[in-house]
Formats: sequence, C-alpha cells, structure tokens
Amino acid sequence: MDTTVFVPIPDDAPAPGAGAAVTPAVRARALTKTYGHGEAEVRALDGVDVDFAAGRFTAIMGPSGSGKSTLMHLLAGLDSATSGQAFVGSTEVTGMNDKALTALRRSRVGFVFQQFNLLPMFTAEQNITLPVELAGGTVDREWLGTLVDTLSLGKRLTHRPSELSGGQQQRVAIARALVAQPDVVFADEPTGNLDSRSGAEVLSFLRRSVRELGRTIIMVTHDPAAAAYADRVVLIADGRIAGDITDPTPESALAGLDALRTVGAR
Amino acid sequence: MIRITLAQMRRSVGRLAAAGIAIVIGTAFVAVTLLAGNVITSTTYDSIAAQYRGSDLVAGGVPVDDAGLDAVRQVAGVSSADEQLLSFQQLEHGNRTIFQGVLATPSDPAMLPLDLADGALPAGAGQIALPPDVAERFGVEVGEDITLVRNTLVDADADVWEWEEAREQLTVTGIVDDPYGAYSMFGGAAVAPATEVQAWEADLLAPGEVSTEPSTVLVGLDDGADVEQTRAAIDTALSSAVTAAGGDASDLEVVTPTEHAESVAAQMTGGDNIIFTTFVLVFAAVALLVAALVIANTFQVLVAQRTRTLALLRCVGADKGQLRRSVLFEASVLGLASSALGILLGTGIAQAALTIGSGMDLGIPLPTSIDITPAVVIAPLVVGTLVTLVAALAPARAATRVAPLAALRPADAPSSARGAGRFRLIASLVATVIGFVVLGGGVAISTVGDAPSDGILVALLGGSMSFVGVLVGSVFWLPRVVALAGRLVGASGPTARLAAANTLRNPRRTAATSTALLIGVTLVGMMSTAAASARLTMDSELDARYPVDVTVSSDLSGDGSDAAAMPVGLAGAIGDVDGVATVVEVPATLSGLTGPGVDPGAEVMVRGVTPDDATSVLRSPEMVAPLAAGTVVVPEGIAEVWSITDGQTLTFDRPDGELEVTAAVTELQDDAVVVVPADLATLDAAAPTTALYVGLEHPGDAASVVPDIQDVVADTEAPVNVMGAAVERAGFEQVIDTALAIVVGLLGVAVVIALIGVANTLSLSVIERRRESATLRAIGLSKGQLRGMLAVEGVLIALVGAVLGVLLGLVYGWTGAAAALGWAGEPAIVVPWADVSLMIGVALVAGLVASVVPARSAVKTSPVEALATE
Repeated sequence: MDTTVFVPIPDDAPAPGAGAAVTPAVRARALTKTYGHGEAEVRALDGVDVDFAAGRFTAIMGPSGSGKSTLMHLLAGLDSATSGQAFVGSTEVTGMNDKALTALRRSRVGFVFQQFNLLPMFTAEQNITLPVELAGGTVDREWLGTLVDTLSLGKRLTHRPSELSGGQQQRVAIARALVAQPDVVFADEPTGNLDSRSGAEVLSFLRRSVRELGRTIIMVTHDPAAAAYADRVVLIADGRIAGDITDPTPESALAGLDALRTVGAR
Repeated sequence: MIRITLAQMRRSVGRLAAAGIAIVIGTAFVAVTLLAGNVITSTTYDSIAAQYRGSDLVAGGVPVDDAGLDAVRQVAGVSSADEQLLSFQQLEHGNRTIFQGVLATPSDPAMLPLDLADGALPAGAGQIALPPDVAERFGVEVGEDITLVRNTLVDADADVWEWEEAREQLTVTGIVDDPYGAYSMFGGAAVAPATEVQAWEADLLAPGEVSTEPSTVLVGLDDGADVEQTRAAIDTALSSAVTAAGGDASDLEVVTPTEHAESVAAQMTGGDNIIFTTFVLVFAAVALLVAALVIANTFQVLVAQRTRTLALLRCVGADKGQLRRSVLFEASVLGLASSALGILLGTGIAQAALTIGSGMDLGIPLPTSIDITPAVVIAPLVVGTLVTLVAALAPARAATRVAPLAALRPADAPSSARGAGRFRLIASLVATVIGFVVLGGGVAISTVGDAPSDGILVALLGGSMSFVGVLVGSVFWLPRVVALAGRLVGASGPTARLAAANTLRNPRRTAATSTALLIGVTLVGMMSTAAASARLTMDSELDARYPVDVTVSSDLSGDGSDAAAMPVGLAGAIGDVDGVATVVEVPATLSGLTGPGVDPGAEVMVRGVTPDDATSVLRSPEMVAPLAAGTVVVPEGIAEVWSITDGQTLTFDRPDGELEVTAAVTELQDDAVVVVPADLATLDAAAPTTALYVGLEHPGDAASVVPDIQDVVADTEAPVNVMGAAVERAGFEQVIDTALAIVVGLLGVAVVIALIGVANTLSLSVIERRRESATLRAIGLSKGQLRGMLAVEGVLIALVGAVLGVLLGLVYGWTGAAAALGWAGEPAIVVPWADVSLMIGVALVAGLVASVVPARSAVKTSPVEALATE
C-alpha cells in the first residue's frame, strides 16, 4: 500500500486548490447536467466544483456512468450545461455561442481522442498542423520541431495514418492537440484503443508534454494504471466529485476507485 | 434473410430514396415517351375515324368509277354511296394565296365529317364553303367572292406537258368547322359540290386518261339493313364492276369505319410513331444509364457502410450467396418501387400536358385523357428494375467479399475501394484509341473522300466507341484530373485543401459521380457545338447562295426581257418598313456582249451598283470586291455560259451606247453582271431601276419583315416580285435552333439525374464522415468552414464533370460537324461560348446547391461525436 491516502471530500467542502494564488487553467462551479425530464430525469453531473491547476497532468477517474466524460465535455465546451459555470482560464465557456466556442477550440483547447481521429487522407505532419491552418495562422516551426522531438515522430511525418501503428497515431494526435499551444488539452481515454505497451508509451509522452513543455492536460480514464501517470487524480462518482489523490500510484488509484465502489454501495 | 434485408432497408431508407429519385426520373421519362407515342397513334386514329364519321361501310383499295358507284348503289340495303374526294386547289383573295384541300359534298349530307358553322353548304357551280381560319385569313364573309386558280392539262405529249391556268370566281356560301379533327393535318377542308370537285380532278388528267389512284367509297345503309350481308353484297357487286372495267379487284376492301381507322393507325404505329418513340427513347436510355451510375454509387456506399453488419452475418453463418441475394433483393425492391413511382409521375405529367394542351388551341384535337396501355406500365417497370439490378451487381459482389473477420475490426470509416483492374484499363484504352482513329477516318471519308453519308456512319461508330472507352476508363484518369483541380483550389486555403483531399479518398465514387454528369454534358456540348458549327458553315454557304436578304424585282421572267422601271417611291416605302436597314436601287439594262473567246450572240443583264452600296447590302461583299470603274463583275455561272475568262476585256453594246471593261469573274451567284452606275450610264443613260436590294437589320426577323415588304409592294399594284432569301435563311436557322432545343431538352433529363447523383454522393460522404466532421469541429473548424468544405467538394465534382464534358463535347461536336457538313465547304470550328458558359455555370451552381442539404446535416454534428467510441 502506498502512503498516499484516499480522503473522501464532504459535499460542502471548498473546491480543492480554491485558495491558490494563480488562476487555475480550468475550473467548474456548481456545474450540473441533467438529461430527460420529470421521472426520467438523470443527473449526469450534480453541482460539481473543481479546479485544475495549470502546468499539471490531471486524471479524472471514475467507473462507467459516473459522469467523468460529461464533466470533460462541459469543461471543454463540447456540450451545454444545465446550470453552473465552466471556465478555461478566466473565460467562461458555459453559454458561449458556436462561433466563440470554435475560436476557443482553435487557440485555447486541444483534444486527444480514444479513436485517434486522424484524417486518413493527410500525412502525419499535415494532420498535426491542421488546427493552425484552419485558424488561418502560421505554424510555429520551432514549436513543431520541439513537439516532434518530444513525441519521437521525426521519421513518421510523411506517413499517412494507415501506415502508422496505433501508438504512433495517438502520438500524432497529441502533437495535433498541442500544436496551437493551447491552455489545456483534454484527453478522452487516450489509451483505450491501445495495447498496454503503446498505452504506456503514450502516457509517458503525455507526462513529458506536461513536465518538459509546461502544458496542462486533463485526461479522462477508467484505468488506474493510466491515472497513475498523472500528477493528480480527481475521482468522480454519481455525478459528484468523490475524491482527490495527489501523486497517485497505480495502487492508490485502484484503491481510490475501489473505495468509490464502496461509497457507491453505501 | 429477407427480414434482415428489409430491416436494413428501413435503416437506410433516406439513402435509398435519394438513389431512387434517379430511377423515378428515368422511368417517368420512358413512360411519358410511350404515352406520347400513344397520343400520336390515337390522334391519328381519331382523325381517320372522323373522316368516315356518318358512313356505315367504307369500300376502297381499288379505283372505282361511276359504273362501280352505281353498282354499289344498286345493292339492297344501301342508301347512298359516294366517292370521298379531296382535291387540293389554289385559292386567292387580295394578296393572299392559300393551298387548300377541298372536299366534295356527299349526296347524303350526314356523311360529311364537317359541321356547318355559318351559311349553307355549296349547292351549285361557283360555290364553296371554307374552313373558319381560311375565311379569316382572306378576310371574307359568307356571300363574298374568292378566286380559284386551277390548272388544266391541255396537252400531254411525250415530253411536253402543257397546262392552262384558269381563274374562276367562287362565292363563299358557308363556313365549315372540323370539330373532330378529320382534316386537322391539312388545316381543315373546304367543301364544294361533288360535280365541281370531280371536274377539277378530271382536268388534271390527260383527255381520256383514267385515274389509277385507289378510291374511297363511303357507303350509307338503310335503317335495319344487315351490315355483314350488305358488306358481302357490295364486295361482290363492286368486284364484278371493277373487273368489268378492266381493273384488278384483288385489293378491294369493304370495311367498317372502325376497322379502317384501326388498320391505318396500325400502319402508323409502324411508321411515324415508332420513329418518334425510338428517337426519344434513345435519350431516355441515356438518362437511365446515368441513373444506373447513380444507383451503383449508392449501393457501393451502402455495402461499404454495412461492412460490419455483413461481416457479422457471415460470422453467424450467412453464406456469400445469401449476402449477394440480399443486396440484389434490396435493389429489386428499390427498382420496383421507384419504377412504379416513375410511372405514376410520368402518367401524371402526360395527363397534365394533355389537359393543358387541349386547353390551348393547337389545331389538333387531342385526346382528353391518356391511354395507359400495358406497354406503358410494363416497359418502364421492367427497364427501371433491370437497370437498378444491373447497377447493384458490382456492389453485390463487393458484399460477398466482406470477410467475417471484418466484424472484429474497429469500426473505421469504410476504406476506399481498390482501383479497377488491368483488363479494364486495356479495354478502355483500346476502345478510346481505336474509336478516335475510326472517328477521324469517318471525317476523312466525309471531307476528303466526299462521301458524307458513309462518313457520318463511320464517325458515329468511332465516336460512340471512343466515348464508351473514355467512360469505362474514367476511373483511371478522372481522379487524376480531380486531383489536379483539387491542387489548384487547395492552394486557396485549408478548407479547400480538405475538400480536395476528400474528393480523392474514394476515387471510384468521385469518378462515377463526375462521369454521370460528364455523359450528359458531353452530349449537350456536342449538340450545341455541332449546331453552332453547322450554323456557321451554313451561314457562309447561305451568304454565297443568297447574297441579298430581299430582292424586289420587276424582272419577272428573269431574262430581263420584260423588266420595267420600279414604281416611284417604292424604295422609300420599303425603307420605312420596320426591320429594313438599307434599300439600294439597282438600275439595269439588257445588253449584247462581245469579247475575245466569248460565245457569239451573248446577251446579259447589266446592273449598276456602287461598291459602297454593294458592301452595305450584300451578305458576301467579297464577291463584288473587284467592282470599280472599268471593271465588270461576272458571276461564275454567267462566265461559264458565255465562255468568259477572268481578266479579259469585254465590250457591251446597245443601240444607244457601248462600254469596254475588264471582266472579273467571282463566285457571285446572280443572273446579271455588275458594273458601277457611271459605267452603266455610258451603256444606257436611261437604264431603269428594275430591282431593289433590301438589307435587313436582323436576318433572323425575315419571317416577319418580308411579309411587311410584300404588303408594301402589293399596295403599289405594280407587277413586281419579292424574293426573300432571308426567309429561307431564317428557316434554316430556325430548323437548327429548334432541333437543338429539343435535343438539349431531352438530354437535360440526364443532366438533372447526374446532379441528383452529386448531391447523393455528398450526402453519403457526410454520413460516412460523421466522426471526422466532429473531429474537425473539435479541432477548430467553424460551421462556415465545414459548409464551405462541402461546397468546394460539390463544385469540384460537378465542375470537373462539366468541364471535361464540355471539352469532349467540343471535340465530338467539331468532328461530327466536319463529318456531316464537310461537303458544304470548310467546316467551321466554333466554340459556342454562350452554351459552354451556361453549362459550366449550371454545374457550378448545381455543385453548390447539391452541398446545401448535406452541409446542413453535417453542421448539426456535435463535436462530442468525435469522442464516441462507436
């Protein structure tokens, strides 16, 4: 057993890190999402308050149906909240119109998907630079070089996705998410479609992006081993924040997850 | 399996419906064509039946003389028997002349298939009843007179037939309507007493000659007479009468009016209506071919999208045959349903056209409702279903190639189909190359070999072959062209580059979509190019043949012998007519002609025209270019007749003057030589103005301007002649334009189907690329950019098809015109810019429009879907 202890947080406690001097990269305030009406109403997210510090690699972990994906969608402005607020930096994302959201996604938010979602007709390099081009900007070649080096993609830039392994594809996707130097990158189960070795590789790259390049990454996962690569794990269950682990190990993350089940069964 | 197939169809009903539209339009086209053919037949039938309205039996097939008629009248049960006689005569009133069929009054007025609208039927010599529109054009009322101009054959020696013209006054006794359309194809019929009409016809024969034309005898029966018995009796009586007169009675027929109409209509069905139907069905076939491409495309995509389901079916035990049958069953259901809809649509359109058509006065009584024969239903149904089935064959084969393993693979977007095989490449290359060589050969045979009818056939064969080759090979070269075009537009920004890359993801599908459009556009382009070339070739030909738009001449005999001076003021009056640009007064005189080598006794008309006037009024001024003082322009024809050579000295001499000039022989087509007026004055100081050359502002308006000129001339009552070459020219141009409009209209259906195909392909791509669209949105593609991307895709596919189609169309149009008109001189190479820009414009707009609906569904895709795992 690791020394880090899982500490359940009471519902009325202030948000973790709320008193920090710097503005968190991403934060949620009383964020709520419900589906359906009346009897059939489902609370996917129930008044969540949470801060994510800049320059950190945070994992959101919870069992399926816990609301972890919904939380990420709302934070990233991919879905609209029923009530509450979500911020990227000091910008409120909730209530933004499509145009503002598109602008946000172009410059301040990056995505890494479980299915990689690379465009099959473009080479790795074209895929990486696409967000900048869509925004009508020019690619920062130096930054691109740094990314390519960090992610070990040097020899793969002219390959098309179909010529790359899953791990390589996901590294291209990470480079694409980082190319515009966004404030935060959201990764949704980035290792879900990879074998454990490639998964480990991708996770190390994500961690290096944070440690060496100073990026902010928020990753949704249900895998304690993946969560252990993060600096911090936010546990979520039944649409509420159910715990917080700093410097997790696979064991502590698993323990946290197990504890959630117990909490859930309570 | 059927249950699964139907369930799958329900899931893809939207996509199937989009494909079905192509077949609906194609089959509706076929149905309308067949229905139109039926209308032609039934209009013919009705018209024939109407001619025998009132008679109980019709005897015919052999010439029947008076003795024969008497023999029929003697038969028990026969109340009347008359020969139905229609004589075409020239009727005149004022300035107007009309050729009109005149019907002989039957002894029983009930047998006349016309209705008396006003006045009375003619009862004696010098009387006539007119159709309403003839009376209107003449401006005559009942009781007024018109003139009959008829010819009598006075002498019919071995070679020389001598006619004598007679003018007789006829009094209009009544107006006869043709409510049943019996004579609608002759513009109605006038009526004159039988004895008169018989006399007119007899005068056309030499004295003693007997007509060998088969007669038609209308027989009326007594009330209660037995039709069959009487028919047999008439047959017997008439054949003995015919035989007695020395004729052959074997062709004799005695039938009821219905039987007669049926047999004539049956002959018609094998004639006019078959030609019409075949002609239009060729275009329907083109439309269906294009529809087949659209269908094949849709099924290809459906199969690709269902790869997982198909693989799953294979995993749980479905064999290849079942999968193939499932796809083919689906195609049959789609084909049947769409064809049925198409027939409904077609009959609806045909009925609507009839309803509108009978509301307008077309001069032909149309049937009020369409005649739905079994062929109208069965043919489109069978053709539509077959086309759909055949189009689905390749996709069905693709379905059987899905490996069960595919069910276990991650659900990626369907990968692009493999390129086509080597055999296809070679076959298409061979067909293209040989086709173009044969096409060139056809042109050579026509132009160099001077055998246009053979040349056209060979060129047609080569052209079709090369086009098939080009189409079959499109899968190889079309994507490259799209890639090139994509690279061009891709330079304009990331959205365009995305679009260009997208069009290349499935080269086969893009090729098929563009090809569908290419077919229609090539054919339209070919027709309009050929028409433009033909028009230009004809123009230069017509310019030479009809150098002057309108000639007003007092030289009625054409040899100058009776040329008189034009009435004073006529030139000014004609100049005032709307649409007339220039009027040139041309003096002329008849003169003897001598010169070295010139045949003795030569005599020609000499006209005086200034070079400026000639240039302004002649359509081919280069033919009088040498005209100057001291030079005479001699038309080729005249030079040949009198052995005049170019550059020689000619001496014209008249009793009161003489003129020595140099001859310049040109291709001018005229019956007179031309000098400058000053030279003419030397020859004959008092040469009268015998002709006016009239130039029109727009030769195309000739049909309306020339009659106005004729009216002005007629008002002077001078014996002058108006020759409107421009009318002929306008006639030629109108024929070309009308033919082009019809053909382009028919081909337009294929283009419409192809454009539906573009929209269909885009919609399918959008559905396929849901996740990708979501990803793009997630990484910063705005809604506008997504719409723009699809618009560029649509425009790229449509434009490539249209531009290539136009280019091919130009090539085929030029070669076609060269093969068909090579005999008429250097075929002109024309680019019909207006038509070309119209076609490309339509393709551009259609590509944009085609992207609207798919784009709407694409922008609805939330970026969240990029995160979905399935």
